Amino acid sequence: MSNMKTEDLLRESENLLTAIAAGEIDAFVIGRDDNRRVLLLANAYQRYRQLVERMHQGAVTLSNESRVLYANQRFADMLGMPLAQLYTTPLDSLVSVGDRARLATYLLLSARDSRLELGLRRRDGTTIQVVLSHATVSDGYTTLLVSDQRPLQWPDVVVEALESIRLSIEQLNRSPGLESQARDALESITEQINGLARMIDEMREVQAPPRRPAA
Amino acid sequence: MTTPANDASAPKANELWELRLYTAGQTPKSLAALANLQRICDEHLHGRYKIEVIDLMANPRLAKDHQIVAIPTLVRKLPEPLRRVIGDLSNTERALVGLDLRRAA
Repeated sequence: MSNMKTEDLLRESENLLTAIAAGEIDAFVIGRDDNRRVLLLANAYQRYRQLVERMHQGAVTLSNESRVLYANQRFADMLGMPLAQLYTTPLDSLVSVGDRARLATYLLLSARDSRLELGLRRRDGTTIQVVLSHATVSDGYTTLLVSDQRPLQWPDVVVEALESIRLSIEQLNRSPGLESQARDALESITEQINGLARMIDEMREVQAPPRRPAA
Repeated sequence: MTTPANDASAPKANELWELRLYTAGQTPKSLAALANLQRICDEHLHGRYKIEVIDLMANPRLAKDHQIVAIPTLVRKLPEPLRRVIGDLSNTERALVGLDLRRAA
């Protein structure tokens, strides 16, 4: 039994050395237990990765067979699916049935910066309109950017969150044992929240279409 | 000289293979590993497999589960015994041997 384990260990060590020598690795895991982190061998890639993962557009990288090899969290959110379930999924299974032929043609012919509007099938059965744009083709993989065409919803979400925080602060303010220093801090937070709410209202007014003069 | 995949090391009928690929976001080797893994599964496991992708850039702590030191690494969870194959799986021969889908020469 212990011989088997040693044999496995040797096999894995040999496997690791072979992979390193063949240039098949681009990151190492360093540290122990809960302090592990990933060390990428190409530092320049790190900035690109952060950009892709934090941007507000969806991003998806496809294999030659148009299966998902990578997607960012935003793309998963558009579909209402866990990111982990997207890997290896054929892209055409994620779009409306009526748009699949157009997608196939687009992937076959599209050049850099070309665009295609189609319906994305969400997990809950609804469809959202998106625009695909061809970003890059490298090493045989295609990366598409996915822009959500629905009207921006974020002001409502932010206002809801601010209102919820304001109510929590009001509750805290009512507690009898609150020290004056804490009460001052809460007042200051309330002021800042109200300021943010006003800014959002002003932005909404700027974005709103001009009203027609009364007849 | 290698033994063909349809010998004693070939997967048993109805045996589900559970594979976990540890990646680092969309590094070139991670993308290649997933594309190569999909191809190997299509050719040798004929739908009797489940692939789980773990992005260690998002959660490095998960490396602890299978003592991952290099990325990409493929772990065969089932059938037992557990097997690890390190690299982007571009060397199909080495990947098949590592997964016990083919015997070493």
